[in-house]
Amino acid sequence: MIEQARLGNLVFSREEVAKRVQEVGAEISRDYEGRRPLLLVILRGAVYFAVDLSRTLSVPFDIDFMALSPFKPGLQRVEIEKDVDTPLAGRDVLVIEDIVDTGLTLNFLLRHLEKRFPRSIRVCSFLNCPGRRIAEVEIHYFCFEIPDIYVVGYGLDFKGDFRNLPEVYTLYDPTGRDTQILKKMGKGGKK
Amino acid sequence: MPPLLTSYFLRFLNSIIKAGENKVGNFSIVTISREVESLGDEIALRLSKKLGLEVIDRERWVSVLEEWRPGFPTEPPLDDQAQREWMTAVRSFLQERAEKRAFVLLGRGGQRILEGLDSVFHLLVVAPTEARLRRIMEKYNQDEVTAARILAEQDLQRERFLLRHFGIDWKNPLYYHLTLNTGSYQVEEACHLIMEAMKKVADRMVIPGKQESLFEEKNFLKEAVVFSHPSEEEFARILDFYNIRWLYEPRTFPLAWDSEGNVVEAFAPDFYLPDFDLFIELTTQKQKLTWKKNKKVRRLKELYPEVKIKLIYARDYQHIVRKFGGSK
Repeated sequence: MIEQARLGNLVFSREEVAKRVQEVGAEISRDYEGRRPLLLVILRGAVYFAVDLSRTLSVPFDIDFMALSPFKPGLQRVEIEKDVDTPLAGRDVLVIEDIVDTGLTLNFLLRHLEKRFPRSIRVCSFLNCPGRRIAEVEIHYFCFEIPDIYVVGYGLDFKGDFRNLPEVYTLYDPTGRDTQILKKMGKGGKK
Repeated sequence: MPPLLTSYFLRFLNSIIKAGENKVGNFSIVTISREVESLGDEIALRLSKKLGLEVIDRERWVSVLEEWRPGFPTEPPLDDQAQREWMTAVRSFLQERAEKRAFVLLGRGGQRILEGLDSVFHLLVVAPTEARLRRIMEKYNQDEVTAARILAEQDLQRERFLLRHFGIDWKNPLYYHLTLNTGSYQVEEACHLIMEAMKKVADRMVIPGKQESLFEEKNFLKEAVVFSHPSEEEFARILDFYNIRWLYEPRTFPLAWDSEGNVVEAFAPDFYLPDFDLFIELTTQKQKLTWKKNKKVRRLKELYPEVKIKLIYARDYQHIVRKFGGSK
């Protein structure tokens, strides 16, 4: 139970998550009516969101996956660890992310995808954290905007843990800062 | 005359005759694609004088197409079918025009429109980013930050134009017979090399095979940067990792002056990211101790409202490092 001890406050319950995913799915279905988007899921965090989101779509779609190498000392440039199998030329690509914060990864990804000549590229992220943004990237759809706090669950991990939680939590913060921030949001119920 | 000498003599004679027709070898068109401020325009002018070629730049391109077919689009439409038709029509027109007078085509997607024709020599001119930056600073009398922003915007604009209208990653050297880095050559030397290359290609003396890409982008600045704090160095590595250009402490903003107008307080943010026109200040101090920096940033925003700056606190920075060092 050591892992659970690191969890902090509840940020979004499974009901809140399900409701927003449904709403965003309906919005995407409206926008893509008459088209067949390619859902491009960025591994690994976005898988949980992508599965739930795809179930809410009323338009036909294709799905594919990409993985980028995380930053680590010794690796000079980001590398594509898993590329898409589907040709992107002429496709309406919808990039599915778990969270967009600094925008550095997404900025790289979008510049890379542009070179495959898709008809359109849009971004759908489960969470949007504009307070940490460095690279300007447009997020067309998102479920929740969060302040500058570190969250886990619903695909988001800490060192590989907590991905499978159906809710979103903060990591335990002994300073109590996260609790204060969440209170301002009208949140902060303990797990 | 021995057969070998005869062959050389005939080839020499042939080259003189062809030069008289404003050609080197069989080439009647030279396309020049160039990075912003890489001296590509200067090379086009010098080369055209040497070979007696007409230069078709953006302005001339518009008038040439207007004379040919009034109202004809000057760049390919975005619709696939219309784009193919545009390319076919313009390709034929340019070939016909070159039969009357040879020319240099500067930019305009020439490498794509006239791809694969034996009568066309394709040249790419590049230069180190640092040299291009310096040229912009001198030419437009701008500081390093403004010049870096201009360069980033123009580079992106060019990349997107070629990608959108011609469907190419224009810096791929395989579109060209020759890729020339003016960081190593003067314009005159460059022209000499180009003419030599044209002769070699015309004589089919090149060895077929794939070129290695020359465009592995390096750091924006070539000189080793001395960082004041290890966190800045780590942050720079993260930016490099994501191929984001940066300058380290490129500008100092005066914040306060004494009664004689001397600057008594100033602030030099740690990084400038020209692609986002954004200054970044990192602080590793605890949040309680950051009031001085907060005050400076507030003052900077008051005095320079057009400047975009982001203060990254120790906590934010730890988030970034944790995220990029994590398992994603």
